[in-house]
Amino acid sequence: MVAILIGGVILLTGNSRSGDINSAGSNVVIKDGIQYITIDARGGYSPQRSIAQAGIPSKLIVNTNGTYDCSAALVVRQANYQEILPATGKTEIDIGIPKAGEPLRGTCGMGMYNFEVNFD
Amino acid sequence: MKNHLFHVTGTHCPSCKILIEDILQEQDLVDKVTVNLKDETIAVVTKNEQDTNELMQSLGALIKPNGYSLSLEKLAVENKNNDIIWQALPIGMALLFLFFLLQRSGILNFGIGGQTTPTTSFLIGLIASVSSCLAIVGGLILSLSAKISQDDISDKKTIVLFHFGRLAGFVILGGLLGLLGEIIGINFTVSAILGLLASVVMLWLGLNLVGVFAKSKITLPSGIFKFFRRIEHKTLAPLLVGLGTFFLPCGFTQSMQIAALSSGSFVTGSLIMFSFALGTFPVLALLSFGSASLAHSKYAPLFFKTAGIVVIGLGSFALLGGLAGLGIIRPLFNI
Repeated sequence: MVAILIGGVILLTGNSRSGDINSAGSNVVIKDGIQYITIDARGGYSPQRSIAQAGIPSKLIVNTNGTYDCSAALVVRQANYQEILPATGKTEIDIGIPKAGEPLRGTCGMGMYNFEVNFD
Repeated sequence: MKNHLFHVTGTHCPSCKILIEDILQEQDLVDKVTVNLKDETIAVVTKNEQDTNELMQSLGALIKPNGYSLSLEKLAVENKNNDIIWQALPIGMALLFLFFLLQRSGILNFGIGGQTTPTTSFLIGLIASVSSCLAIVGGLILSLSAKISQDDISDKKTIVLFHFGRLAGFVILGGLLGLLGEIIGINFTVSAILGLLASVVMLWLGLNLVGVFAKSKITLPSGIFKFFRRIEHKTLAPLLVGLGTFFLPCGFTQSMQIAALSSGSFVTGSLIMFSFALGTFPVLALLSFGSASLAHSKYAPLFFKTAGIVVIGLGSFALLGGLAGLGIIRPLFNI
Protein backbone atom coordinates (compact mmCIF):
# COMPACT_ATOMS: atom_id res chain seq x y z
CA MET A 1 0.00 0.00 0.00
CA VAL A 2 2.88 2.33 0.82
CA ALA A 3 4.20 1.55 -2.63
CA ILE A 4 0.91 2.68 -4.17
CA LEU A 5 1.00 5.87 -2.14
CA ILE A 6 4.55 6.65 -3.21
CA GLY A 7 3.59 5.80 -6.77
CA GLY A 8 0.73 8.29 -6.52
CA VAL A 9 3.07 10.99 -5.27
CA ILE A 10 5.49 10.35 -8.12
CA LEU A 11 2.61 10.48 -10.57
CA LEU A 12 1.57 13.83 -9.18
CA THR A 13 5.07 15.25 -9.34
CA GLY A 14 6.01 13.62 -12.61
CA ASN A 15 3.55 15.59 -14.67
CA SER A 16 4.24 18.87 -12.92
CA ARG A 17 3.76 22.03 -14.85
CA SER A 18 6.53 21.12 -17.21
CA GLY A 19 5.43 23.67 -19.77
CA ASP A 20 6.26 26.34 -17.27
CA ILE A 21 10.03 26.26 -17.74
CA ASN A 22 11.30 29.67 -18.64
CA SER A 23 14.34 29.23 -20.82
CA ALA A 24 14.78 32.58 -22.50
CA GLY A 25 14.67 34.37 -19.17
CA SER A 26 11.94 36.87 -20.01
CA ASN A 27 11.52 37.31 -16.27
CA VAL A 28 15.18 38.26 -15.91
CA VAL A 29 16.22 41.87 -16.46
CA ILE A 30 19.62 43.48 -15.94
CA LYS A 31 19.40 47.14 -15.03
CA ASP A 32 22.25 49.36 -13.80
CA GLY A 33 24.46 46.33 -13.25
CA ILE A 34 21.92 44.53 -11.09
CA GLN A 35 20.07 41.43 -12.24
CA TYR A 36 16.38 41.29 -11.28
CA ILE A 37 14.61 37.93 -11.38
CA THR A 38 10.86 38.27 -11.13
CA ILE A 39 8.67 35.51 -9.72
CA ASP A 40 4.89 35.67 -9.39
CA ALA A 41 3.48 34.11 -6.26
CA ARG A 42 -0.12 32.99 -6.10
CA GLY A 43 -1.25 29.39 -5.88
CA GLY A 44 2.35 28.44 -6.56
CA TYR A 45 5.32 30.21 -8.09
CA SER A 46 5.67 31.16 -11.70
CA PRO A 47 7.87 30.63 -13.60
CA GLN A 48 8.76 27.51 -11.74
CA ARG A 49 12.18 27.38 -13.36
CA SER A 50 14.18 30.31 -14.59
CA ILE A 51 17.67 30.72 -15.96
CA ALA A 52 19.74 33.76 -15.06
CA GLN A 53 23.36 34.81 -15.30
CA ALA A 54 25.91 34.00 -12.67
CA GLY A 55 28.44 36.49 -11.34
CA ILE A 56 26.29 39.64 -11.21
CA PRO A 57 24.72 41.16 -8.09
CA SER A 58 21.16 39.87 -8.19
CA LYS A 59 17.82 40.47 -6.61
CA LEU A 60 14.67 38.41 -6.51
CA ILE A 61 11.44 40.30 -7.02
CA VAL A 62 8.41 38.41 -5.76
CA ASN A 63 5.05 39.74 -6.90
CA THR A 64 1.97 39.01 -4.87
CA ASN A 65 -1.53 39.85 -5.97
CA GLY A 66 -4.26 38.84 -3.54
CA THR A 67 -2.00 36.01 -2.41
CA TYR A 68 -3.12 34.38 0.81
CA ASP A 69 -2.16 30.79 0.15
CA CYS A 70 1.00 28.89 1.02
CA SER A 71 3.02 30.71 -1.62
CA ALA A 72 2.77 33.85 0.54
CA ALA A 73 4.85 32.08 3.20
CA LEU A 74 8.13 32.26 1.33
CA VAL A 75 11.35 30.55 2.34
CA VAL A 76 14.58 31.11 0.41
CA ARG A 77 17.18 29.21 2.38
CA GLN A 78 20.26 30.41 0.49
CA ALA A 79 19.31 34.02 1.10
CA ASN A 80 18.36 33.25 4.69
CA TYR A 81 14.89 34.58 3.94
CA GLN A 82 11.70 33.51 5.72
CA GLU A 83 8.77 35.89 5.59
CA ILE A 84 5.06 36.07 5.03
CA LEU A 85 4.72 38.25 1.96
CA PRO A 86 2.17 41.07 1.88
CA ALA A 87 -1.04 39.89 0.22
CA THR A 88 -0.51 42.35 -2.62
CA GLY A 89 2.79 43.97 -3.45
CA LYS A 90 6.36 43.59 -4.65
CA THR A 91 9.02 42.13 -2.36
CA GLU A 92 12.68 42.55 -3.13
CA ILE A 93 15.11 39.95 -1.80
CA ASP A 94 18.85 40.39 -2.12
CA ILE A 95 20.46 37.13 -3.23
CA GLY A 96 24.03 38.40 -3.51
CA ILE A 97 26.23 37.34 -6.42
CA PRO A 98 25.07 33.91 -7.58
CA LYS A 99 27.66 31.34 -8.64
CA ALA A 100 27.27 29.22 -11.76
CA GLY A 101 25.84 25.77 -11.15
CA GLU A 102 24.41 26.65 -7.75
CA PRO A 103 20.66 26.93 -8.24
CA LEU A 104 18.60 29.12 -5.96
CA ARG A 105 15.57 27.40 -4.51
CA GLY A 106 12.50 28.93 -2.98
CA THR A 107 9.68 27.04 -1.33
CA CYS A 108 6.58 27.93 0.58
CA GLY A 109 6.34 27.29 4.31
CA MET A 110 4.49 23.99 3.99
CA GLY A 111 6.76 22.91 1.15
CA MET A 112 4.03 22.29 -1.38
CA TYR A 113 5.09 24.91 -3.91
CA ASN A 114 8.61 25.67 -5.05
CA PHE A 115 10.66 27.39 -7.71
CA GLU A 116 14.22 27.18 -8.90
CA VAL A 117 16.54 29.67 -10.54
CA ASN A 118 19.55 28.22 -12.34
CA PHE A 119 22.62 30.34 -12.99
CA ASP A 120 25.03 29.90 -15.84
CA MET B 1 -13.08 -18.08 43.26
CA LYS B 2 -13.32 -19.26 39.70
CA ASN B 3 -11.25 -18.62 36.60
CA HIS B 4 -12.82 -17.86 33.22
CA LEU B 5 -11.25 -17.27 29.84
CA PHE B 6 -13.01 -15.42 27.01
CA HIS B 7 -11.97 -14.51 23.51
CA VAL B 8 -12.49 -10.88 22.65
CA THR B 9 -12.83 -9.05 19.35
CA GLY B 10 -12.52 -5.35 18.68
CA THR B 11 -9.39 -4.72 20.71
CA HIS B 12 -7.78 -2.51 18.10
CA CYS B 13 -5.70 -0.33 20.35
CA PRO B 14 -3.33 -0.69 23.27
CA SER B 15 -5.60 1.50 25.41
CA CYS B 16 -8.42 -1.00 24.90
CA LYS B 17 -6.73 -3.13 27.55
CA ILE B 18 -7.12 -0.38 30.12
CA LEU B 19 -10.65 0.51 29.05
CA ILE B 20 -11.91 -3.08 29.30
CA GLU B 21 -10.09 -3.72 32.54
CA ASP B 22 -11.50 -0.50 34.04
CA ILE B 23 -15.06 -1.33 33.06
CA LEU B 24 -15.03 -4.95 34.17
CA GLN B 25 -13.08 -4.32 37.35
CA GLU B 26 -15.94 -2.12 38.57
CA GLN B 27 -18.25 -5.14 38.74
CA ASP B 28 -18.79 -6.49 42.23
CA LEU B 29 -18.60 -10.13 41.31
CA VAL B 30 -15.30 -9.64 39.48
CA ASP B 31 -12.13 -10.08 41.44
CA LYS B 32 -9.47 -9.72 38.79
CA VAL B 33 -9.43 -8.97 35.05
CA THR B 34 -6.47 -9.38 32.73
CA VAL B 35 -6.72 -8.51 29.07
CA ASN B 36 -4.17 -10.13 26.82
CA LEU B 37 -4.04 -8.11 23.61
CA LYS B 38 -1.72 -10.47 21.81
CA ASP B 39 -3.92 -13.52 22.25
CA GLU B 40 -7.12 -11.40 22.24
CA THR B 41 -8.30 -13.03 25.43
CA ILE B 42 -9.69 -11.83 28.73
CA ALA B 43 -8.98 -13.80 31.88
CA VAL B 44 -11.56 -13.11 34.59
CA VAL B 45 -11.38 -14.27 38.17
CA THR B 46 -14.75 -14.11 39.92
CA LYS B 47 -15.30 -14.00 43.65
CA ASN B 48 -18.08 -16.59 43.58
CA GLU B 49 -18.78 -19.71 41.56
CA GLN B 50 -20.17 -18.17 38.41
CA ASP B 51 -21.52 -19.85 35.32
CA THR B 52 -19.11 -18.97 32.51
CA ASN B 53 -21.87 -18.55 29.95
CA GLU B 54 -23.91 -16.24 32.15
CA LEU B 55 -20.83 -14.23 33.02
CA MET B 56 -20.00 -13.88 29.36
CA GLN B 57 -23.50 -12.51 28.67
CA SER B 58 -23.41 -9.95 31.46
CA LEU B 59 -19.81 -8.79 30.92
CA GLY B 60 -20.25 -8.82 27.16
CA ALA B 61 -23.22 -6.44 27.48
CA LEU B 62 -21.07 -4.01 29.47
CA ILE B 63 -18.35 -3.63 26.86
CA LYS B 64 -20.51 -4.01 23.78
CA PRO B 65 -21.20 -0.22 23.53
CA ASN B 66 -17.44 0.25 23.12
CA GLY B 67 -17.32 -2.15 20.22
CA TYR B 68 -15.96 -5.26 21.92
CA SER B 69 -17.56 -8.64 21.96
CA LEU B 70 -16.85 -11.77 23.91
CA SER B 71 -16.95 -15.37 22.84
CA LEU B 72 -15.85 -18.72 24.13
CA GLU B 73 -14.35 -19.79 20.85
CA LYS B 74 -11.84 -17.79 18.89
CA LEU B 75 -13.62 -16.15 15.99
CA ALA B 76 -12.07 -15.97 12.56
CA VAL B 77 -12.11 -12.27 11.83
CA GLU B 78 -8.92 -12.08 9.81
CA ASN B 79 -10.56 -12.64 6.46
CA LYS B 80 -13.25 -10.10 7.07
CA ASN B 81 -10.66 -7.46 7.92
CA ASN B 82 -8.72 -8.18 4.78
CA ASP B 83 -11.83 -7.80 2.65
CA ILE B 84 -12.54 -4.41 4.15
CA ILE B 85 -9.08 -3.08 3.47
CA TRP B 86 -9.47 -3.94 -0.21
CA GLN B 87 -12.69 -1.94 -0.28
CA ALA B 88 -11.20 0.93 1.69
CA LEU B 89 -8.05 1.22 -0.39
CA PRO B 90 -9.67 2.32 -3.68
CA ILE B 91 -12.11 4.64 -1.88
CA GLY B 92 -9.29 6.25 0.11
CA MET B 93 -7.07 6.61 -2.95
CA ALA B 94 -9.95 8.12 -4.94
CA LEU B 95 -10.58 10.69 -2.20
CA LEU B 96 -6.88 11.59 -2.09
CA PHE B 97 -6.80 11.84 -5.87
CA LEU B 98 -9.79 14.21 -5.84
CA PHE B 99 -8.11 16.31 -3.18
CA PHE B 100 -4.89 16.70 -5.16
CA LEU B 101 -6.85 17.26 -8.37
CA LEU B 102 -8.71 20.11 -6.68
CA GLN B 103 -5.39 21.64 -5.59
CA ARG B 104 -3.93 21.40 -9.07
CA SER B 105 -7.04 22.64 -10.85
CA GLY B 106 -6.30 26.22 -9.92
CA ILE B 107 -9.94 26.79 -8.93
CA LEU B 108 -8.77 27.90 -5.49
CA ASN B 109 -6.26 30.41 -6.80
CA PHE B 110 -8.42 33.40 -7.54
CA GLY B 111 -7.04 36.45 -5.83
CA ILE B 112 -8.86 38.41 -3.22
CA GLY B 113 -7.68 41.97 -3.39
CA GLY B 114 -8.09 45.04 -1.27
CA GLN B 115 -8.28 45.47 2.47
CA THR B 116 -8.56 42.47 4.73
CA THR B 117 -11.96 42.84 6.32
CA PRO B 118 -13.92 40.28 8.36
CA THR B 119 -15.87 39.47 5.18
CA THR B 120 -12.77 38.80 3.09
CA SER B 121 -11.20 36.77 5.88
CA PHE B 122 -14.37 34.67 6.09
CA LEU B 123 -14.10 34.02 2.33
CA ILE B 124 -10.40 33.23 2.66
CA GLY B 125 -11.30 30.81 5.46
CA LEU B 126 -13.78 29.07 3.17
CA ILE B 127 -11.09 28.64 0.51
CA ALA B 128 -8.45 27.64 3.05
CA SER B 129 -10.68 24.87 4.37
CA VAL B 130 -10.52 23.02 1.04
CA SER B 131 -6.99 24.11 0.14
CA SER B 132 -3.77 22.28 0.77
CA CYS B 133 -4.09 23.38 4.41
CA LEU B 134 -6.77 20.74 4.66
CA ALA B 135 -3.94 18.23 4.42
CA ILE B 136 -2.66 19.24 7.79
CA VAL B 137 -5.54 20.76 9.78
CA GLY B 138 -8.26 18.62 8.21
CA GLY B 139 -6.14 15.50 8.26
CA LEU B 140 -5.38 16.00 11.92
CA ILE B 141 -9.05 16.57 12.74
CA LEU B 142 -10.15 13.55 10.75
CA SER B 143 -7.58 11.28 12.35
CA LEU B 144 -8.29 12.51 15.87
CA SER B 145 -12.08 12.31 15.51
CA ALA B 146 -11.94 8.85 14.01
CA LYS B 147 -9.57 7.70 16.72
CA ILE B 148 -11.70 9.19 19.49
CA SER B 149 -14.81 7.56 18.06
CA GLN B 150 -12.98 4.28 17.86
CA ASP B 151 -11.72 4.52 21.42
CA ASP B 152 -14.67 5.75 23.41
CA ILE B 153 -18.20 6.97 23.40
CA SER B 154 -18.18 10.65 24.31
CA ASP B 155 -16.82 11.69 20.92
CA LYS B 156 -19.43 14.39 20.23
CA LYS B 157 -18.52 16.26 23.40
CA THR B 158 -14.82 16.06 22.61
CA ILE B 159 -15.39 17.35 19.08
CA VAL B 160 -17.56 20.24 20.29
CA LEU B 161 -14.83 21.18 22.78
CA PHE B 162 -12.22 21.02 20.02
CA HIS B 163 -14.16 23.42 17.77
CA PHE B 164 -14.88 25.70 20.69
CA GLY B 165 -11.17 25.74 21.54
CA ARG B 166 -10.32 26.55 17.94
CA LEU B 167 -12.82 29.41 17.57
CA ALA B 168 -12.11 30.88 21.02
CA GLY B 169 -8.37 30.49 20.46
CA PHE B 170 -8.53 32.39 17.19
CA VAL B 171 -10.51 35.19 18.86
CA ILE B 172 -8.10 35.57 21.76
CA LEU B 173 -4.83 34.98 19.91
CA GLY B 174 -5.97 37.14 16.98
CA GLY B 175 -6.78 39.92 19.42
CA LEU B 176 -3.42 39.56 21.12
CA LEU B 177 -1.66 39.71 17.75
CA GLY B 178 -3.42 42.98 17.02
CA LEU B 179 -2.73 44.37 20.47
CA LEU B 180 0.86 43.29 21.02
CA GLY B 181 2.12 43.11 17.47
CA GLU B 182 5.43 41.41 16.99
CA ILE B 183 5.72 40.22 20.57
CA ILE B 184 3.91 36.97 19.91
CA GLY B 185 4.89 37.03 16.25
CA ILE B 186 4.53 33.58 14.81
CA ASN B 187 7.86 31.94 14.35
CA PHE B 188 8.28 30.19 11.03
CA THR B 189 10.44 27.38 12.31
CA VAL B 190 8.29 26.71 15.37
CA SER B 191 5.22 26.46 13.17
CA ALA B 192 7.03 24.16 10.73
CA ILE B 193 8.12 21.88 13.57
CA LEU B 194 4.56 21.79 14.92
CA GLY B 195 3.46 20.84 11.42
CA LEU B 196 5.93 17.97 11.35
CA LEU B 197 4.70 16.84 14.74
CA ALA B 198 1.10 16.93 13.50
CA SER B 199 2.01 14.89 10.43
CA VAL B 200 3.76 12.27 12.53
CA VAL B 201 0.66 12.04 14.74
CA MET B 202 -1.48 11.70 11.61
CA LEU B 203 0.70 8.95 10.18
CA TRP B 204 0.66 7.09 13.46
CA LEU B 205 -3.12 7.39 13.87
CA GLY B 206 -3.62 6.57 10.19
CA LEU B 207 -1.63 3.35 10.45
CA ASN B 208 -3.57 2.57 13.59
CA LEU B 209 -6.93 3.14 11.87
CA VAL B 210 -5.96 0.98 8.92
CA GLY B 211 -5.05 -1.71 11.41
CA VAL B 212 -1.40 -2.16 10.52
CA PHE B 213 -0.69 -2.55 14.20
CA ALA B 214 -3.58 -4.93 14.73
CA LYS B 215 -1.53 -8.08 14.50
CA SER B 216 1.50 -6.89 16.39
CA LYS B 217 0.08 -4.19 18.57
CA ILE B 218 2.88 -1.87 19.46
CA THR B 219 2.29 -1.78 23.15
CA LEU B 220 3.81 1.07 25.01
CA PRO B 221 4.02 0.76 28.78
CA SER B 222 0.43 0.88 29.92
CA GLY B 223 1.25 3.74 32.29
CA ILE B 224 1.67 6.06 29.32
CA PHE B 225 -1.68 4.98 27.91
CA LYS B 226 -3.39 5.48 31.23
CA PHE B 227 -2.02 8.99 31.18
CA PHE B 228 -3.24 9.63 27.63
CA ARG B 229 -6.62 8.14 28.34
CA ARG B 230 -6.99 10.36 31.34
CA ILE B 231 -6.35 13.54 29.34
CA GLU B 232 -8.42 12.26 26.43
CA HIS B 233 -11.43 12.32 28.68
CA LYS B 234 -10.71 15.64 30.27
CA THR B 235 -12.05 18.90 28.92
CA LEU B 236 -8.71 20.59 28.59
CA ALA B 237 -7.04 18.36 25.98
CA PRO B 238 -9.49 18.93 23.09
CA LEU B 239 -9.67 22.65 23.95
CA LEU B 240 -5.89 22.91 23.77
CA VAL B 241 -5.62 20.96 20.53
CA GLY B 242 -8.27 23.27 19.03
CA LEU B 243 -6.35 26.32 20.18
CA GLY B 244 -3.09 24.78 18.96
CA THR B 245 -4.37 24.68 15.37
CA PHE B 246 -3.74 28.45 15.38
CA PHE B 247 -0.02 27.71 15.18
CA LEU B 248 -0.14 24.95 12.57
CA PRO B 249 1.55 25.88 9.31
CA CYS B 250 -0.96 27.02 6.72
CA GLY B 251 -0.24 29.86 4.34
CA PHE B 252 -3.77 31.22 4.66
CA THR B 253 -3.69 31.23 8.46
CA GLN B 254 -0.29 32.90 8.42
CA SER B 255 -1.44 35.59 5.97
CA MET B 256 -4.43 36.28 8.19
CA GLN B 257 -2.18 36.48 11.22
CA ILE B 258 -0.10 39.11 9.44
CA ALA B 259 -3.28 41.05 8.69
CA ALA B 260 -4.36 40.78 12.33
CA LEU B 261 -0.90 41.84 13.43
CA SER B 262 -0.81 44.93 11.24
CA SER B 263 -4.32 45.96 12.29
CA GLY B 264 -2.86 47.21 15.58
CA SER B 265 -6.06 46.69 17.53
CA PHE B 266 -7.39 43.88 19.69
CA VAL B 267 -10.91 44.07 18.29
CA THR B 268 -9.89 44.14 14.61
CA GLY B 269 -7.27 41.43 15.04
CA SER B 270 -9.69 39.20 16.82
CA LEU B 271 -12.47 39.85 14.28
CA ILE B 272 -10.17 38.96 11.38
CA MET B 273 -9.02 35.71 12.95
CA PHE B 274 -12.51 34.77 14.15
CA SER B 275 -14.07 35.34 10.73
CA PHE B 276 -11.30 33.27 9.17
CA ALA B 277 -11.85 30.40 11.63
CA LEU B 278 -15.60 30.68 11.03
CA GLY B 279 -14.96 30.32 7.30
CA THR B 280 -13.04 27.12 7.89
CA PHE B 281 -15.70 25.78 10.26
CA PRO B 282 -18.20 24.19 7.81
CA VAL B 283 -15.65 21.82 6.25
CA LEU B 284 -13.92 21.02 9.53
CA ALA B 285 -17.26 20.43 11.27
CA LEU B 286 -18.34 18.14 8.44
CA LEU B 287 -15.09 16.18 8.77
CA SER B 288 -15.29 15.76 12.53
CA PHE B 289 -19.02 15.25 13.12
CA GLY B 290 -19.31 13.31 9.87
CA SER B 291 -16.63 10.94 11.01
CA ALA B 292 -18.29 10.56 14.40
CA SER B 293 -21.62 9.60 12.86
CA LEU B 294 -20.05 7.25 10.31
CA ALA B 295 -18.10 5.68 13.15
CA HIS B 296 -21.38 4.72 14.81
CA SER B 297 -23.02 3.45 11.64
CA LYS B 298 -22.87 -0.02 10.18
CA TYR B 299 -20.14 1.21 7.83
CA ALA B 300 -17.83 1.83 10.78
CA PRO B 301 -15.13 -0.74 9.89
CA LEU B 302 -14.96 0.49 6.30
CA PHE B 303 -14.97 4.11 7.46
CA PHE B 304 -12.07 3.62 9.89
CA LYS B 305 -9.92 1.95 7.25
CA THR B 306 -10.79 4.51 4.56
CA ALA B 307 -10.12 7.37 6.97
CA GLY B 308 -6.83 5.70 7.84
CA ILE B 309 -5.75 5.59 4.20
CA VAL B 310 -6.76 9.21 3.58
CA VAL B 311 -4.95 10.30 6.74
CA ILE B 312 -1.78 8.37 5.80
CA GLY B 313 -1.82 10.03 2.37
CA LEU B 314 -2.34 13.54 3.77
CA GLY B 315 0.15 12.89 6.57
CA SER B 316 2.91 11.80 4.18
CA PHE B 317 2.18 14.81 1.99
CA ALA B 318 2.37 17.17 4.96
CA LEU B 319 5.49 15.49 6.33
CA LEU B 320 7.41 15.62 3.04
CA GLY B 321 6.24 19.20 2.46
CA GLY B 322 7.21 20.23 5.98
CA LEU B 323 10.68 18.72 5.63
CA ALA B 324 11.11 20.52 2.30
CA GLY B 325 9.90 23.78 3.87
CA LEU B 326 12.52 23.44 6.57
CA GLY B 327 15.16 22.78 3.91
CA ILE B 328 15.89 19.29 5.22
CA ILE B 329 14.99 17.56 1.97
CA ARG B 330 14.60 18.88 -1.57
CA PRO B 331 11.00 19.65 -2.52
CA LEU B 332 9.43 16.52 -3.97
CA PHE B 333 6.31 17.98 -5.44
CA ASN B 334 4.71 21.09 -6.74
CA ILE B 335 0.97 20.74 -6.62
